[in-house]
Amino acid sequence: MASKTAVAPATTVQTVPRWLPATSLILSVLGLAVSAYLSYEHHTAATTLSCPNTGAINCLKVTTSSYSSFLGIPVSDLGLAFFVVMTVLCLPALWRSPAKSVRAVRLATAGTGVVFVFYLAWAELYKINAICLWCTAVHVITAALFGVLAIGSALLPAPLASSPRA
Amino acid sequence: MGKQSRARTQTRAARLAEVRAAQAHEERRRRLVIAIGAICAVLVIAGGLVALKAAGVGDKSSTGSAATAASPQVVSAVSNVPASVLDSIGVGDATTFPKFIQAPALTANGKPRVLYVGAEYCPYCAAQRWAVAVALSRFGSWSGLGQTHSSSRDVFPNTPTLSFHGARYTSPYLSFTGYETTTNKAQGNSYQPLDTVSPADQAIFDKYNRAPYTEGSGGIPFLNIGGSYVLSGASFSPQILAGMTQEQVAAALSDPTSPVAKAVNGTANAFTAAICNVTKGSPAGVCNAAGVRAAAQRLTGG
Repeated sequence: MASKTAVAPATTVQTVPRWLPATSLILSVLGLAVSAYLSYEHHTAATTLSCPNTGAINCLKVTTSSYSSFLGIPVSDLGLAFFVVMTVLCLPALWRSPAKSVRAVRLATAGTGVVFVFYLAWAELYKINAICLWCTAVHVITAALFGVLAIGSALLPAPLASSPRA
Repeated sequence: MGKQSRARTQTRAARLAEVRAAQAHEERRRRLVIAIGAICAVLVIAGGLVALKAAGVGDKSSTGSAATAASPQVVSAVSNVPASVLDSIGVGDATTFPKFIQAPALTANGKPRVLYVGAEYCPYCAAQRWAVAVALSRFGSWSGLGQTHSSSRDVFPNTPTLSFHGARYTSPYLSFTGYETTTNKAQGNSYQPLDTVSPADQAIFDKYNRAPYTEGSGGIPFLNIGGSYVLSGASFSPQILAGMTQEQVAAALSDPTSPVAKAVNGTANAFTAAICNVTKGSPAGVCNAAGVRAAAQRLTGG
């Protein structure tokens, strides 16, 4: 019995592609850094009552628009919270967990992030008529993270396939 | 018999293992197809959003109107805000003030020059123009002022305002150069160009509209008063003007209790104090006014 419980997680660890925890963690930390910067900007620079003297690339216009909040919460704060959660979920310790729920939550959270990115991209392109490059960086990182997790999850063995019953 | 049975068992186990391996392989292939499908869906939706935008779907060709000549009552109200109202307000609700800088004097025709760079689409410029117009009216007179509103698709949409495009300003004390770089009419992702900033003024804008001189970096409205004071951005929120007509804003300037007067006239007093520093206190009647002296205390340096 003792040997069975010891073997199960070890088998799972061996079948997690090496690149997966590292890549997902790097993307999460990158997203965390950029969203932290955007959150800082939202709470400080928004008091600068000026219009950028530029065209479509206009971060201030985006971060001070009515779409910069969702249900009363600054979108930048939502992004920061998202990447905090993703960073935790992508820690090597949690990649070693064979629990089905961890994988499901990780993938579902990333998927939710991508859906929200679609909403924000739509708002920037069609409602605000301006693009914020920092926001775009967060969008790209979110989509890349989802792609990495989707492919990585597909390559993993079926959840708990090497459980003690196997 | 025992050997045969063992061999059969081994064969069966081997086949079972093969079947399981094949099932696992098939399961992994199925999940990979789903994952790749999901990624393709993300790329298609993102690409579709960008492609439709590039094709002009959802773009409005025009959402604003060109400035028209300011009505006589607007020009009169802006040019004749009672001194008692200005004095009672002081700095009012102004939140930011011109900053003193060490720079070469900005002059024209032997007089200190005030340089304004803004755009008709810009809601913050829309707010600040009222204060610029009121302040300069104390040193001279306007003609050809326009009236318009900020863009309907930006923050603080349709903020009522004036336009310095085509306006002329005459004063024995100072000169004025105002640029409205775009209209409020949409053109693609930007706005129709209007005034072209001269190379010399663009150089001033580029040099002094950034740290350490201003808090912003290239933002508008930008104001340079005689080379000695600069300010980037509005001194109060355009929200104060929301839903008003130009006539209503102009009329409110003479009511010391109105939020419009507290914001616009307070800012105008701060501009007046900065201008008085570059005109060396002329005219005395303006520069010694109580509201201007109160505002002078809020200016940094000088």
